[in-house]
Amino acid sequence: MYDKTVRRRRAVLALLVVLSLILLTAYFGEAGDGSLHSVQRGFLTVVSPIQDGANKALKPVRNLFGWFSSTLHAKSQNAELRKQLDKLRTEVTANQANERSYQELLKLYHLDSELSISDYKPVPATVVYQSPNIWYSIITIDKGSSSGVRVNDPVITGEGLIGKVTEVVPDAAQVSLITDSTVEVTAKISATGTIGMVQPEVGEPGKLLMRYLESTTSVTPGDYVVTSGTVSSRGESLYPKGIPIGQVTSVDEQSPFKSVDVSPLANLHSLDVVQVLTYASGSHAASLNDIAGSLTPSQQASSEEEAQGAQLASTGGGG
Amino acid sequence: MTEGLRSATIAPSRRARVGSGQPAGSAWLPGSLVWRVAVLSVVVVFVQISVVSEVPVFGVSIDLTPLLVAFTGLLCGSTMGAVAGFCVGLLIDLTLMQTLGVTSLTFTIIGYWGGRLRELRDPQAALTPLFVGAAAATAAMVGYSVIEFLLGVDAPVSLELLREIVVGVIVDTVVALPVWALVRRCLVGALPDDPRRRRRRRAYTTGGLSPLSGSRSVGR
Repeated sequence: MYDKTVRRRRAVLALLVVLSLILLTAYFGEAGDGSLHSVQRGFLTVVSPIQDGANKALKPVRNLFGWFSSTLHAKSQNAELRKQLDKLRTEVTANQANERSYQELLKLYHLDSELSISDYKPVPATVVYQSPNIWYSIITIDKGSSSGVRVNDPVITGEGLIGKVTEVVPDAAQVSLITDSTVEVTAKISATGTIGMVQPEVGEPGKLLMRYLESTTSVTPGDYVVTSGTVSSRGESLYPKGIPIGQVTSVDEQSPFKSVDVSPLANLHSLDVVQVLTYASGSHAASLNDIAGSLTPSQQASSEEEAQGAQLASTGGGG
Repeated sequence: MTEGLRSATIAPSRRARVGSGQPAGSAWLPGSLVWRVAVLSVVVVFVQISVVSEVPVFGVSIDLTPLLVAFTGLLCGSTMGAVAGFCVGLLIDLTLMQTLGVTSLTFTIIGYWGGRLRELRDPQAALTPLFVGAAAATAAMVGYSVIEFLLGVDAPVSLELLREIVVGVIVDTVVALPVWALVRRCLVGALPDDPRRRRRRRAYTTGGLSPLSGSRSVGR
C-alpha cells in the first residue's frame, strides 16, 4: 500500500515535470502562429473579459494599496527631495553671487567703454574684507603691489567711484571708501561744471557733503556729481575725469560757500568686485600722478592761492 | 473551540482514513479539496494579476502564487501540491502570455517540495509558514530566472536583478503568514489530515508513552 502511494506520488511528479518540459520545449520551438500560441491566445480571449471585470471590480482595492504604497514611497522621496533642495539652495546662492559679480563686471565694462578707464590699467579685485563698523569705511581687496596697485590709486565699481587705496602689501590692499573721514575728492556738478570738494558728512556715515561751491552756482537736487579730474591741496588724489560719485539730495544756501548733500551712487555696503585704476607706467595719467605726489604741502598751498580759492587746477587730460 | 470547529469540519471519510494510520499525504486527491484548491488558485491568480502585481512595494511586486502553491503542498501533501503548482503555473503562463511550462515547472517543484516537507518533517513551529514562504519565493524567483537564462533570454545578471530577487523574497516572506492563514482557512474543512491535530491526537492516545503522562506517574 505504501509502495503504491509512493509510486503514484513519484509518477505524478514525473508526469507533471515531463509535461512542463514538453510544453516548454514545444512552445519555445514553435513559431508565433503555432498551436500552443493559438491556444494561449484563445485562452486570453476567453479570460480577458473576466480579467477586465476583475480589474474594474478590484480597482478600489488596488487604489487603496496604491495609496499606502505611494505614501511610503512619498516619505522616502521626501527625504531625497529635501537633500536635493539643500543642494540646489547652495547652488542658487552661488549662482546669485556669480550673477551679482557678473552684473558688477558688466557695469565696470560699460564704465570702461564710456570713460576710457582702460587707459588707467584697471586691475579687477575682489573684496575680501569689509569693516562692519559704520564709522570706519574701509575694505580690503585681494590685489596688492604685486599686481601693480599703489597707494592713492582710485577704486571704482560699475556705479562709480568708491574710494582710494590707502595701504598696500604684495597680495592685498586696503581701500578707504569715499565715506571715510580721511578721503576727499575734487568733484564737479555734472550739469553746470561747478567744482567743489566732496567729503564725508559729519555725523552721517554713508552720506557725502560737497563743499566750497560758489554761492552763485545753481545746483538742484538730482544733479549728478562726478570726479573733476583735478588735483588740489585738499584732495591730492588724481581721479580720472567724469567718474560718477553721487547725486545731489539737498542744497544748503545758508553758508557763504554753498554746500550740497550728496548720496553716493555706489552701494558701499555691498561691494564684491571692484577695479583699481593703477595708472600704467609711462602714461600721461601716471606722469600727472607722479607730479601730484611730488608736490610739497607749501607748493600745493601756494598753487591753491594762485587759483584764488577755486581749489583746483584742471589737468585736462583725464588725470 | 477553534479546534472543535476544525474537527467538525473534517469529512467523516477522511477522518476514518486518518485514523487508519495511513501515511500523511498518501491520500489520493479528494474531490472537495480539489475544488477548494482550484477555486482558491483561480481567485488568487486573478487577484495577483489584477491588484497585487500593480502595487509595487519597495520597487517590487508581491507574488502570492508561490506562497499559495507551497502552502497548498504543506497542507495537502506532495501530490496535491505538485498538481496545484502545475495548474497555477499553467494558468499564469496562459494568462500572462508567457512561455508555457516555465512557471508550471517551477511551481510543480515548489508544491511538491512543500508537500514532502510536511510528509517527512511535519513541522509544527508557528514560524514554519514564514520559512516555507521565504524558501518558496526564493525558489520561484531563482528557478524562473535560471530557466529564462537557459532559454536564452538576453539579460545580464546584474546587481539590480539580485536586488530585485532579494527584496522580492523579503516582501513575500512578510506576507507569508497572512497568506498561510488564508490558505489554511480556505482548505481546512476539506483537509484529509492536519499536522497539528495529528500531533495532539498522538499525544492523547499514547497514554503511558506520553512524556506528560510519564511525568505525572513519577509525581505520584
